[in-house]
Amino acid sequence: MDIFANLWLGASTAFMPMNLFYGFIGCLLGTAIGVLPGLGPTATIAMLLPITFGLPPESALIMLAGIFYGAQYGGSTTAVLINLPGESSSVVTAIDGYQMARNGRAGAALATAALGSFFAGSVATILLAVAAPPLAAVALNFGPAEYFSLMVLGLVASVALASGSLLKAFAMIVFGLILGTIGTDVESGTPRYVFDIPELYDGLNFVAVSMGIFGICEILRNLESEHERSVGVKRVTGLMLTKEDFKRIIAPVLRGTALGSFLGVLPGGGAMLASFAAYAVEKRVSPNRAEFGKGAIEGVAAPESANNAGAQTSFIPMLTLGIPGNPVMALMVGAMIIQGITPGPNVISDEPELFWGMIVSMWSGNLMLVILNLPLIGLWVRMLTVPYHLLFPAIIGFCCIGAYSINNSVFDVFVMAGFSVIGFALSKMRFEPAPLLLGFILGPMLEENLRRAMLISQGDPSIFVRSPLSLSLLIFAVVVLALVLSPSISRKREEAFTE
Amino acid sequence: MKLRRFMTFAAVAAAICATSLQASYAQDYPTKTVTVVVPFAAGGNTDTFGRLVAEELDKRLGQRFIVENKPGAGGNIGLGDLARSNPDGYTIGMGTVSSNAINQTLYKTLPYDKEKGFAPISLIASLPNVLVVNPDKIKANNVEELIAFLKAEPGKHTYASSGVGTSIHLAGELLATKSGIKITHVPYKGSSQAILDVVAGHVDMMFDNIPTAAQQVKAGKVKALAVTSLETAALLPDVPTMASVIPGFEATSWHGLFAPPGTPPEIVEKLSKEVQAIIAEPAMQEKLKAMGVTPVGNTSAEFQAFIDKETVKWAEVIKAANVPLQ
Repeated sequence: MDIFANLWLGASTAFMPMNLFYGFIGCLLGTAIGVLPGLGPTATIAMLLPITFGLPPESALIMLAGIFYGAQYGGSTTAVLINLPGESSSVVTAIDGYQMARNGRAGAALATAALGSFFAGSVATILLAVAAPPLAAVALNFGPAEYFSLMVLGLVASVALASGSLLKAFAMIVFGLILGTIGTDVESGTPRYVFDIPELYDGLNFVAVSMGIFGICEILRNLESEHERSVGVKRVTGLMLTKEDFKRIIAPVLRGTALGSFLGVLPGGGAMLASFAAYAVEKRVSPNRAEFGKGAIEGVAAPESANNAGAQTSFIPMLTLGIPGNPVMALMVGAMIIQGITPGPNVISDEPELFWGMIVSMWSGNLMLVILNLPLIGLWVRMLTVPYHLLFPAIIGFCCIGAYSINNSVFDVFVMAGFSVIGFALSKMRFEPAPLLLGFILGPMLEENLRRAMLISQGDPSIFVRSPLSLSLLIFAVVVLALVLSPSISRKREEAFTE
Repeated sequence: MKLRRFMTFAAVAAAICATSLQASYAQDYPTKTVTVVVPFAAGGNTDTFGRLVAEELDKRLGQRFIVENKPGAGGNIGLGDLARSNPDGYTIGMGTVSSNAINQTLYKTLPYDKEKGFAPISLIASLPNVLVVNPDKIKANNVEELIAFLKAEPGKHTYASSGVGTSIHLAGELLATKSGIKITHVPYKGSSQAILDVVAGHVDMMFDNIPTAAQQVKAGKVKALAVTSLETAALLPDVPTMASVIPGFEATSWHGLFAPPGTPPEIVEKLSKEVQAIIAEPAMQEKLKAMGVTPVGNTSAEFQAFIDKETVKWAEVIKAANVPLQ
């Protein structure tokens, strides 16, 4: 098992002109669809699947992988510029990134996202090369009980996402949990709150909900006061980062990378969860936590590093176990099967060119993305100077296309429209949308794993404390809860936010 | 008055044109792009088979056959769309054992007329399931030992599935009712998470579609006890059939092509012939067999008879196992 020999083999595959070319096409396409709201990597890869039939397996997978992580790069662009997350994993980037843009620092926010992503991507690639099999073993240790405890921890920590009233944040989480119960109950197959609408049987679509609540809602808010549009009023100053900025983002990027690399390995969690978690952690530990929600650069650096690291490491269960952790990986598995390669634990030994070629291509792809994205920042920022009455119809148009493309269903467009109204009402009452979305993601996973663990243990709740992993996660959750509730901290919190 | 006469003339002319069009319709078909609705997400088995056949139809008939994924509600959304589309042969769609045989019983209401059903074009592929067990959790080397082992510890063991009412779940129920064992069902959203938990030992066993499960078997992560097709499977030639222990045990995941009800029989027949020819091609046979799939092409009537048989079979299992209706 000589790692250098393997990497050399990978490099000789990945740096073949044809593979470099397809890698570049993938990254370019990925960036483009990442920028377009709602139109995600899943829909794009699905559309491109037939094209890959005629390609050699390595080129096909390198291109598809490029689309996937390219989208993680591009997704942050609209999140920062117009408060419209292009990808679900850039939802939290919108919180502080958009505030930075309003302060005239859109360029710095985009540069932070690109550099943080590049660093995280490189680290995750190395991790993938040296530790994929042991990391996959960690993923196997996460059974239903462990997932449940992880979700409990996530929910407790999600309170930290809110910057205003604790009670309101709590209300939003509960609202999100309730929305998450819509759809067919996995354990019994009983439809809940579906009102005989077949489209609701699989629950509300996260992308449609988040586009409505963030993007369209932001347009409504801007239209309310057309003459004092929030973004672009201030002059954009400096596209690059200052020395001070660099100092501030180093620690968050490292923490985000670590968290993202870990959560990405867990099937079902992936990049989205990683970005939420990284933001929540940063908000607790950062020395500049008072600035969060008002344009803290750490609030962009951490989640962007986390989602890119997570995107990279989410290949681990797929490549080492043959098990797809998210819909994009499922598509990659489909692409491999069509190529005559069935993903499984033997792919590394049976198809070394493919495995190592993909790993090396991820790094070269990340490099291409940074080179592609840094010069584009100036162009994106100039988009803010487009008159709003020209910009917003285009945004709404793209949002509708994006929402439709998720399931080729008009229903999702209506869901998006409905949630933009709900989001608008909530913002009028000063409720924040991020905790709602987190409750919406975590709720179904929490419930599913709780009931699954109880089924497996034949109704014995001690399953949650018997597993050391689960127990430690629960203890950690209790500690975080105690910290949040402790009088001294909550007083400080109030002070920090009532400036 | 003049206008009225003109209108009558136009209506008559249109009617004549329509009739003559109808006759030459099937011969000329297809003259424009055909949409192939896949009622499941891209990348899955149904999608893969749909795309493989669509690509060949494209080449043979000289028109684009475009796959459109309309996932949701266990395939009901896509099939509802298919049922509502024009029965002119320009919208056809994929269907599976779940969407076209199990859901008829499992769902109280469907977004289309159960009685009218669809016009079956041809079966494409049949995918056997394989019973895999975690060797640390289940001490058994064959199905007889498994049944004895589970009977000794009733209710203590678990099997995973890709969701309530899927062919993978019902295969488990079929085993339980036929052999009289008691075992707890643990449903997942999709089979990939489920097989992961069987590999890790969180759940004891499951039936899974053969291509992915075979890889786990070959890597020694799980033990294969039996396949659910009547003949042994090419990917796992040493694994016996369930039917050799429990006679008549068959639980395959099949995928076929359908047209909306009321599609002209000539068009259905034309498509059926093409699909059968596509599947009979050696290259396609090889491709499908490498995926662990049994390629099947048949006529519309044969396919309909098969669907009716499957619908009755799974209705009996659903009733015997008391699977809650949705």
